[in-house]
Amino acid sequence: MSVLRPLDKQPGLNTATILLVGTEDALLQQLADSMVKEDCASELRVHLARSLPLPSSVNRPRIDLIVFVINLHSKYSLRNVEESLHHVDATFFLGKAAFLATGAGRESHCSIHRNTIMKLAHTYRSPLFFCDLEIESFRATMAQRLVRVLQICAGHVPGVSALNLPSLLRSSETPAPEDQ
Amino acid sequence: MEIQPGEQAATEPPDLGAGGGDGRPPHVAGAQETRPEDRLTLLLRLRAQTKQQLLEYKSMVDASEEKTPEQIMQDKQIEAKIEDLENEIEEVKTAFEMKKLALDRMQLSIALKKNLEKINPQTSVLMDNMKHILNLNKLIMKSHQESWDLEEKLLDVRKKRLQLKQASESKLLEIQTEKNKQKDDLALMENSDKIKAINQNLQMEIQITTVIQHMFQNLILGSKANWAEDSALKEIVLQLEKNLTMM
Repeated sequence: MSVLRPLDKQPGLNTATILLVGTEDALLQQLADSMVKEDCASELRVHLARSLPLPSSVNRPRIDLIVFVINLHSKYSLRNVEESLHHVDATFFLGKAAFLATGAGRESHCSIHRNTIMKLAHTYRSPLFFCDLEIESFRATMAQRLVRVLQICAGHVPGVSALNLPSLLRSSETPAPEDQ
Repeated sequence: MEIQPGEQAATEPPDLGAGGGDGRPPHVAGAQETRPEDRLTLLLRLRAQTKQQLLEYKSMVDASEEKTPEQIMQDKQIEAKIEDLENEIEEVKTAFEMKKLALDRMQLSIALKKNLEKINPQTSVLMDNMKHILNLNKLIMKSHQESWDLEEKLLDVRKKRLQLKQASESKLLEIQTEKNKQKDDLALMENSDKIKAINQNLQMEIQITTVIQHMFQNLILGSKANWAEDSALKEIVLQLEKNLTMM
């Protein structure tokens, strides 16, 4: 399967799966560890991938949330993510995908401008998070947030669905997507 | 082929807190007493989850039923369909906005009610505002009514003027047709054959009479009688002056 589709498999009982896509393996691993340490009523599964497409040989559960991690210090990660975006079905972007930009704290090392990422997130109508994954406390907070979002995307929160997320997670900076 | 990405899966069940009453499925390793309340909680949670997931799947199925047909449609039809869909989107957006406004209004009114119950309603500025609003509304309604009446009168007057105009128009039309008819009749009369025949006869008679008159005049002159004394003869001779053809 070269294209990831949401809802093409049956959900596991009480299980929520998140896929972290990014080139920074260490950061992804640390984030995964913090997420797993979070107190959550459902069973969490965290999958890490450097880029898409994923090999089809592995039997994996239904993916509820994809987080694309972009390191603002390296243009390679941005390009990697952009290429991976082609292998994701469009229905994922109805709330089950999010972008995470790390490394914004050290402004001098940033080679990608914030606006580039913001435009990318705006194009895909997906929420954008900024977090310095290297700092412990920020990482823990972000892990908490991601766990909440993951629970919503997996359908474990009654009354809120993934479709609400793009409008709920819109910050005051991002303009509402208007038709042209 | 593409780069084989490395994939790792990290699976860990949530923390085994001492008081963590989250029930876990029994097949997971780690002997833990699953108290009946925990199992009940788990079941209820699973029920809620399954419901929500079912809802999501249902909505996806409903959404994908609206797929555009695969067969080749003409451009115009596609454009029309696109327009329809855009109109639908606009309608849904406005309906959503209206509903949001209605909800806000409801919330506001409830908050207002609660506030009013708390404070003394007689002396608050709010009541003064409300009374002022009511007065203004009454004034507005009155002036609306007045302007409505005036407009009605204006409309009536205009209608009457229009009617009069139309009546005068029809009268003038009648006059014109009558005049035309008269002209036509006259022309007809003048051109009719009877008139011509009568005219001709008249001319003939006039000529005959002229000839006879001239004859009488010449007779009288030729007879060398004194016609100045007899008035009848005088009359006949003096008719030379009058040229009958010019009568």
